[in-house]
Amino acid sequence: MRDYVYQRPLVLGLLLCLATASLLLTSMLAGSNGLDDWHGLGTLFGLAPTEADSGMLAQIVWQIRMPRSLGAWLAGALLGLAGALSQAVFRNPLADPYLLGSASGASLGVCLALVGLDGSLIDIHWLARLGLTGAAFAGAMLAVVMTAALASGVAQTLRLLLAGVVVAVVLGAATSLLLQMYPHLLQSMQGFMLGSTAFVGWDSCALMLAALLPGLALAMVLGRWLDGLALGEQTAASLGLPVRPMRWVLIITLALATGAAVAHTGLIAFVGLAAPHITRRMVRWGSRHGVLLASLMGGLLLVAADLLARLLIAPRELPVGVFTALIGGAYLLWLMRRHQQSGGMS
Amino acid sequence: MKPIGPIALQVTGLHVALSGTTVLHDVNASIARGRWVSILGPNGAGKSTLLAAMAGLLPVQGRIELEGEELHAMPAARRARQLAWMGQSEAVGDDLSAWDVTLLGRLPHQTWFSGLDAADKAHAEQALRSMQAWQWRERYVGTLSGGERQRVLLARALAVQAPVLLLDEPLASLDPPHQADWLDLMRTLVDAGATVVSVLHEISMALQSDDMLVMQQGRVIHQGACTDALSHRALESVFDDRIQVRTVDGQLVALPRSARR
Amino acid sequence: MKKWVVLLGLWLVCACVGAAVSITDDKGRKVSIAQAPKRIISLLPSLTETVCALGRCQDLVGVDRYSNFPQDVRKLPQLGGGMDPQIEAIFALKPDLVLAASSSPGTERLAALGLTVLQLEPKDQADAVRVIRTLAQALYVADPEPVIRQMDLEFAQAQALVPAGARGEKIYFEVGTGPYAAGAASFIGQTISQLGLVNIVGPELGPFPKINPELVVRLQPDVVVVADSSFSALAQRPGWGMVRALKDHKVCTFSQADGDLLVRAGPRMGQGALLLARCLQRLYLTGQTP
Repeated sequence: MRDYVYQRPLVLGLLLCLATASLLLTSMLAGSNGLDDWHGLGTLFGLAPTEADSGMLAQIVWQIRMPRSLGAWLAGALLGLAGALSQAVFRNPLADPYLLGSASGASLGVCLALVGLDGSLIDIHWLARLGLTGAAFAGAMLAVVMTAALASGVAQTLRLLLAGVVVAVVLGAATSLLLQMYPHLLQSMQGFMLGSTAFVGWDSCALMLAALLPGLALAMVLGRWLDGLALGEQTAASLGLPVRPMRWVLIITLALATGAAVAHTGLIAFVGLAAPHITRRMVRWGSRHGVLLASLMGGLLLVAADLLARLLIAPRELPVGVFTALIGGAYLLWLMRRHQQSGGMS
Repeated sequence: MKPIGPIALQVTGLHVALSGTTVLHDVNASIARGRWVSILGPNGAGKSTLLAAMAGLLPVQGRIELEGEELHAMPAARRARQLAWMGQSEAVGDDLSAWDVTLLGRLPHQTWFSGLDAADKAHAEQALRSMQAWQWRERYVGTLSGGERQRVLLARALAVQAPVLLLDEPLASLDPPHQADWLDLMRTLVDAGATVVSVLHEISMALQSDDMLVMQQGRVIHQGACTDALSHRALESVFDDRIQVRTVDGQLVALPRSARR
Repeated sequence: MKKWVVLLGLWLVCACVGAAVSITDDKGRKVSIAQAPKRIISLLPSLTETVCALGRCQDLVGVDRYSNFPQDVRKLPQLGGGMDPQIEAIFALKPDLVLAASSSPGTERLAALGLTVLQLEPKDQADAVRVIRTLAQALYVADPEPVIRQMDLEFAQAQALVPAGARGEKIYFEVGTGPYAAGAASFIGQTISQLGLVNIVGPELGPFPKINPELVVRLQPDVVVVADSSFSALAQRPGWGMVRALKDHKVCTFSQADGDLLVRAGPRMGQGALLLARCLQRLYLTGQTP
């Protein structure tokens, strides 16, 4: 029997919200000067700072810092949601949202966009607006479509997973090939592949919110059915669950959520895997509240990682993905040791 | 031989093909309400396939009727409330507690937005208690032994409270006391009006049921009461006369017939 | 008879003077080159350009895939990149000198195969001049000074082109989306300071730091230089509407080809400086967007 940290999911939910709110407030102070910008906090309360360019500081806080942190939270929430969904669909606690090849698809999309923007002097407004974000999203979606097509539908888990691996490898190779031909793009690609909230503005936040809310609502409504999937597909079908349509809906939702996150903040590792995992250890899992908590957890993880990335060597920045990978790797290591100690029974 | 009383499940002209191979050929069977029927036959006869087809889980050619209604035309939720199916040793996520797994049996009775009410919990509790699994309801399925896990899965099927129970190898991993308990439980349920169809490996156990369906190579070659001598002959013949059906102290048993005589 | 003795003496003197040249490359390797190499392979674009600037273009038998100047070298066999040289192809061409970057892998292998390898990687202006001189030695070029003088001339021209109004102005040079900036410590940074402008990214941040975009808004550069592929999205970056350079339309863009001029520490450095200077001239004298 396992002792849960929190008996009631509500407690965990409130704590997560509280922690997130305090980190968001902190982020108003966290800028290119490091964490000593108390005037930034002052703008929240309308206090007149003593700097001459007070208007600009307020603009920096509201136009740059807030949307970055909020964007980090939204991306983390999307990844946490996608992670919880993929763990339900694949019935595997180690499943993460990138299993269907969306990461490689997004990378290839961004690479192609960089090549296209560079080679031809395209000044078409829609391409400029579509830009890297749109290309990443389109790439992610197309990769998932390829995976589903390769697996002839989403009915069989093993085929889907194998198809996902194939698509990821092939698209990854295509990206590598492009980078060989255009090595000057390597630096820009790195920014994308390691994750960054550098250019997340309010419109990115709006788009991510538009992806998060319906996804969460859907997952929570389908909550009990998600639990039913854990019994295996035939048993779930015998309980009246429409298994095949459910798989389609879940996979589309998870692909959209992943695509939305990746498009705006790049490839961020581990949040999709770790957030649902950590939630499972803290409260008793029931998909209805579990999906929401995993989402909140993912948001918190990414806000924290983003803050660290922005603060540690300010005004320089580290890629966010580095911190999430460190946190995720440390967590998995700890899991492994616990697994060993308890003799293989987690 | 015509079964007595109203028919719960009627199978007519059933053909089932899996991965291109025909597994069931022209199967006809009538399962009467309030009877316990065992499906018997050698390995590969198609017993599990027939059971899964009866549960509506496989694409079929032919007709299956539940209480007179075409099974595949029925809405899935209603079918799930009438029919409870338990598969053969299915893997369950290790992260769920026995209580959670049992509660999932109440899914057919829940609507989109409703949570679990007291009635649901009462049924789940009753199911666990009847399988002697109530005391470790908080333990994780991954930490249970094979027999304990089997009892939890059985409790899950019972929790559905469906009038028709389709059980595939329900006695797998159970030790004799629990096997005997299960027999008693089936008898109680059937006496109360439930219909049970079980696929059982253990022929002596299967002989305790009311009727038997004897299968061989995808065909039903005999359907009849377990006490009927014709049924015994049919059973012995599908097993190549390597078994003999006898009555010991008023109970039917199947004894192996040695070839070395 | 005397004629023969004089000639013999002269020949001996020449032989002594023309003894093998010994070069120490950037990796500390001591290389001895007996005579002017006639089959040169270059695996770094700046070294390719240096060889040609020293008048030995015709001695090149192979280059890497990124060497693209002058036009003629594009016809030569491409032997992989600096980071992934094709050992077999290089060996098959039987070069008598292989030039590679200090960071290039595979040079040990090439040296083990008996080839003469020189690893030189010019990182800043002083380096570039040193490399030109070293390479001149290795190639038996008598006088590299005209090349260096040409570069100095171009730098001087560039400095003269910069309008008075642009001197002392703050500049932000972005090398890639990230955003990655060219700091004062980088080669580009040196060019910028030679032209009399102030880089908002100081030397303490390193040559090419990934910076917080907030820094640009906060420090309000007067001029912004970006790749033309990034230009269209510039105004849409959150908070960048307030950047003075964008409001005043003081943005220089460079194409991929121009980018080569700016980042390669080779004989065309001066042209890179001229490029920047001309843009500044356009911005400050006429107020036009280039």
